[in-house]
Amino acid sequence: MTDLVIETSGLRKEFISRRSKRVAVQSLDLAVPAGGVHGFLGPNGSGKTTTIRMLLGLARATRGEMRLFGQPVPQQLPDVIGRVGAVVESPKFSPNFSGRQNLQLLARSIGVPDSRVSTAVETVGLTGRDRDRYKSYSLGMKQRLAIAATLLKEPSLLILDEPTNGLDPAGIREIRDTIRTLGESGVTVLLSSHILAEVQQVCTSATIIGNGRLLASGTVDELLGDGTSYRVAVPDAEAAASALTAAGLVSASDPAGGLRVETDDPAAITRTLAGAGIWLSELTPLRPDLETFFLQLTAGDNLGTSGQEEVR
Amino acid sequence: MRSLIRVELTRLRWRRAVLLLLVASVVVPAVIAVAMIWDTRPPSADELTRIDELVAQERESPVVQEQLQDCLDHPENWGFDQSTTDLQTQCEESTLPQPEWFGSYTPLDLREQLQYGDGLGVVTVLTLLLMLAGTTFVGHDWVSGSMSNQLLFEPRRGRIWAAKALVVTLVSLVVSVVVSSAYWLTLWLVARSRDLGSSSDLLGDCLEFGLRGALFATAAALAGFALTMLFRSTVATIGVLFALSVGGGLLIALLGLDGQWQPGPNLEAIVKNGTTYWDYDTERKLSALHGVVYYGVLVVGTAVASVISFGRRDVP
Repeated sequence: MTDLVIETSGLRKEFISRRSKRVAVQSLDLAVPAGGVHGFLGPNGSGKTTTIRMLLGLARATRGEMRLFGQPVPQQLPDVIGRVGAVVESPKFSPNFSGRQNLQLLARSIGVPDSRVSTAVETVGLTGRDRDRYKSYSLGMKQRLAIAATLLKEPSLLILDEPTNGLDPAGIREIRDTIRTLGESGVTVLLSSHILAEVQQVCTSATIIGNGRLLASGTVDELLGDGTSYRVAVPDAEAAASALTAAGLVSASDPAGGLRVETDDPAAITRTLAGAGIWLSELTPLRPDLETFFLQLTAGDNLGTSGQEEVR
Repeated sequence: MRSLIRVELTRLRWRRAVLLLLVASVVVPAVIAVAMIWDTRPPSADELTRIDELVAQERESPVVQEQLQDCLDHPENWGFDQSTTDLQTQCEESTLPQPEWFGSYTPLDLREQLQYGDGLGVVTVLTLLLMLAGTTFVGHDWVSGSMSNQLLFEPRRGRIWAAKALVVTLVSLVVSVVVSSAYWLTLWLVARSRDLGSSSDLLGDCLEFGLRGALFATAAALAGFALTMLFRSTVATIGVLFALSVGGGLLIALLGLDGQWQPGPNLEAIVKNGTTYWDYDTERKLSALHGVVYYGVLVVGTAVASVISFGRRDVP
């Protein structure tokens, strides 16, 4: 049985105001296995950040259970928080302190020596700017500082909420590589994002939520399937379609040109077409990406707008 | 917990607005003390000579001489008549400048200072500045959002609250005790150097006044901190305090409650170890204990609400 680093069961969070009750998270069962990078996906307002904030003790769950490293939280959170590094939403530091001072205060609060501050600053590439005031930093530098703060603890679990927001392309790539490296080194990374292409590039598994509810969960391969569709480019599409149909293969014209053929056995396509004297110039497996899968999964739902329940 | 307290001390030391308020807590009472010492200084021999010269000069001025002549010619205009004995002297006293007009001198009377002097003003200044320091110190954490970052490293909210409260209390106590003691000790030394009343009993009374004031200012700083942890905003806290200071007294008066429920007399009762207040035409006593209970309930109530709120509410 795989060890779970994060578990939630029947998790629910309501925000109650005078006029309405908004359900941000409802009956969420989340299971994040140890090791690797786990994507936590959903559109804006789907409940990702609220879930993370509940896991980290910043928000109280209305109902449900949560565990980090097998320990119930928030009850046992002090016992496990030392193993958890987190960036929640935008970086939040004192604007009039330097980046280094901000890190020093956090490090000293848990008895971490200042030398580790220097290491963290170096790791995220802020050396030389670490003594500047935080308010003079660009958004990208602020993100780097936030990631440096998570590294102070040398965490086993890293929770990153939209970590590439505000970064330039080079910065995004750098952070993505850092995340991938951390995942490969044994650190479990929970990467929350609504940029699905980004997640697909680094994640080994993912959970998709919408409207605060679980929509799908599993490894990326499980979520996307094996890819049973192929695009075939041939000089005579009509003749090729007839030959394929005669061989019992289902085909249709592809909007991008050529044919789209549904089969588990791509060799059957080449064999059939070669037998009919048709030589193909392209055979491309069509694998759905996370974005397509996500849009298919949520088609018809009004996701991203949190559930509103009128108080009666 | 020790590391948290050290961190909060460092945070306070690095926060310029708080440091400025602490510096002001030293400078303003110092200015008040200097002004007091200056205003009560006896005139020097040079000053007396200068005053005599000024008086002589003024007496010879045409305007003054005209007035003197007018008094002698028309004494009824000056409240005298022709039958007034020694009219010359009377008119000279009425019209000619006197030395005391140019060099009034009120000696430094510490007993009077304890009762009616600027000591209460120093306590009020310390109270306001230290309360602002407590408010600003933690208000910044909420405004910048760094409170949530701190909780990601130490999720035990009670510890965070306690460490910050302890630092605010300790720093306020040290500053207010040092400033108050220095203020009264300075005045006492000055009084002694001028051969005015300076017994050790008087010094004890002065230092006791200062200590009571310092404790009051410290409690106010703690209340300012607790209130900001409750409202999560420096501006909101200052707004509430302003509304309370303006509207509170007004409301008490409108409700018809007598002076024992007003903030001012209760503050006086604490620092002066008892005071009196007027209930219509009757003077009544107000004990220090009454003042302590009056403000104690407010401070403890605010602190309890603050701890509960911080422990239960979501942190942005």
